[in-house]
This record gives sequence, C-alpha cells and structure tokens, in this order.
Amino acid sequence: MSDEVAGALVFTGERSHAGYRLNRMAMSLTDPVNRARFVADEVGYLRGMGLNDAEIDLVQRRDWKAMVDAGGSIYLLIKIAGALGISLQQVGAHTAGMTLDEFMAKLEGR
Amino acid sequence: MGRIVGGVGSSHAPSFGPVYDQGRQKDPLWAPLFDGYIPVRAWLEALRPDLFIVVYNDHMNRFFLDAYPTFALGAADIYPQADEGWGKRDLPDMRGDAAFSWHLARSLIEDEFDPTISQEMSVDHGVMSFMPMLMDTAWPVPIVPFAVNVIRHPLPTPRRLFRLGTALRRAVESYPSDIRVVVMGTGGLSHQLQGSRFGFVNPEWDNEFLDRLEAAPEPLVELTHQDYMERGGTEGIEMINWLPMRSALGSAVKRVQRTYHAPMITGYGLLALEPT
Repeated sequence: MSDEVAGALVFTGERSHAGYRLNRMAMSLTDPVNRARFVADEVGYLRGMGLNDAEIDLVQRRDWKAMVDAGGSIYLLIKIAGALGISLQQVGAHTAGMTLDEFMAKLEGR
Repeated sequence: MGRIVGGVGSSHAPSFGPVYDQGRQKDPLWAPLFDGYIPVRAWLEALRPDLFIVVYNDHMNRFFLDAYPTFALGAADIYPQADEGWGKRDLPDMRGDAAFSWHLARSLIEDEFDPTISQEMSVDHGVMSFMPMLMDTAWPVPIVPFAVNVIRHPLPTPRRLFRLGTALRRAVESYPSDIRVVVMGTGGLSHQLQGSRFGFVNPEWDNEFLDRLEAAPEPLVELTHQDYMERGGTEGIEMINWLPMRSALGSAVKRVQRTYHAPMITGYGLLALEPT
C-alpha cells in the first residue's frame, strides 16, 4: 500500500515510530492535571516529557501540518489543540493554509 | 440459545456530544441526522434486547501506541467514560455483561480470533457519542465493546472484519441462555482530517457503501484499505467497522431505517437492519 493517499500521510508503523515522543506527550493530556501543567508552563512541560527542541518548536508554533509530517497522529494532536482551546476546524484551516472563515466558507459552499 | 435480533450501523463524532447535551438535535444543521435516530430508538425498545455488542474504534483514549491492540474485547461489568483531552460529559458509566464477554472470548478464540481482553476499559466518543440517541442515558441495555485498530497501519483487512461478524454470530448462538443481542458497527463515513483534502467528504461513495452493505456486501469485502481511503478519506477507513455488523445478521435483511447527512467535515450515516 502507498504510504500517501490523496495528499494525506497514512499513519504507518514507521510514522508512529518517528512521532512517538510527540504522540506520547499528547496522550498525557487526557489527564486534566497534566493539561493544567501544560497550559501553565508549556515549554517546561514539553521538555519534561522528553521532546527535543525541534518538536517543542512545532508545538509552540501550533504548526499542525508539520506535526503530522513529524509522525503525529491527528487523533493525538487534537488533544494538544483541545488543551489550548483550539478547535478541529481551526486545525483544518491551518492545514489548508486558510483563515478559519475561509475554511468554513469553503465547507459551506460545496 | 442466544439470538441476534438486529443490527445498527452509525457514525460517531465528538461533535454529537455538545449537540445532544445542549439539546440542539432540532437545530437545522443537525436535525436531518438526529431525526433518523428517533425511529431506531423506538424500534430498539420494541426489540427488547438484552445486550449490545458494539464494534468501534478507540481514538487513542483507552489504548495508546505503547500497546495498541488490533482487536480488544471488553470483559467488565462497568465501562467508564474516557477523558479525551477536553473533560468528560455528564453521563454515568456504561454497564457491561462480563459473563457474556468471557463466553464471547472463548468462542472467538476457538474461532481463531485472538483479541486483547480488557477487564478495565474506558470508552470514548466511539461508543458514547451516538448511544444517548439509541437508549436512555441510565443505560438500561448493557454493552460489550469490541475495539478495532483502524488508526495505526497495518490494519485488519475488510475481509477479516466480515469474518469477525460471522464469529460474533456463532458466539451469540452458542450462549446457553436465550439472550437477545443487537450488533452495532460504528465509524465514518467519509472524512479526512489531514493533508490537502482536510474536510473532504464523499456523499456519493457513502451512499454506495450503504446500498451495498444492505443488499450485497461482498464487493465491499474485496476492497483494499487504499480503496476505502481514496474514496472516503484517510480517516473514513473507520467505516470498515460496519462490516461485522452486517455479516452477523446473515445473508437476508430487512431495512428498518437509513439516514445520511453531511453537514460539515464528515459524512454521517445511520442504518438499522433486521435479519429475515
């Protein structure tokens, strides 16, 4: 099977391996205590979870597309977004390179 | 002897939660979908089921990549709600039937299906988002959750899932008491949450899937994962969770309800079938 389908990356074992630290950090945010710690001190929390500088930078820049490219699973990345009060539609707009209004207009226009 | 008395295929989505909790089912954006659940709920009440077997997928809430199971069978009397990263909804824990689960475990393993057996299993929106539309939230009907890996490839094949439904049926029919079981399959339909097609839906494919699933599912079993993802989006691959629901019913079925609505970034489907 191709590891890229219709412009999207298939979440393969290899990508899961590459993105393991990032995904593990995201999983930790299913605990409300961890969410509070993350929001209070983002960089400190990410460092404590073992993320390297490049991974911390991706989270700090809210670069959802690059996080997927780095092996992030969308199901885990939305836990990071959720902790920051960012919606799935905002993640979608960023991925599509649009503003939220443009993205929503595109969805409603079809 | 147990008996399968019905099958339900349904989409699930985190967004169903706030719609239900805030009583927005009649909102014009949602009514075309949520109205479809009303006759299905009445039909389920009339069927008087003792148990729902729910084939679903966990979205990295109970299970993580450290040990993500291809198949996981719940074997507990209580299934709490998972916190998915934004807090829990105000709903009680769901009820299970551990005695039936252990029977199912034995029967499946004799049938060469070898699931992880989980005695502590929280369930996420994959189960809880649509369930309040199908029964009272005091959860009068216990569930047996059966989680399928449709997220981290390699995934079980569509054919494997179709065979799973036949194995579920054998397990129900070999249960010593006269239990009445409804099998549910949940996921999809078309959606894609990453890449250049983020927000993609394909109503034409979704409706073809619903047509075929009801009348002649064999071609759906022949398709590859790539076929499903090209037609229904990378995350739309979840719709293969509906296949065991269909095969558990046997060859001939009668349709009770079919609903389709694609208001935003997911094609939502609902299908209720009875064996004939």
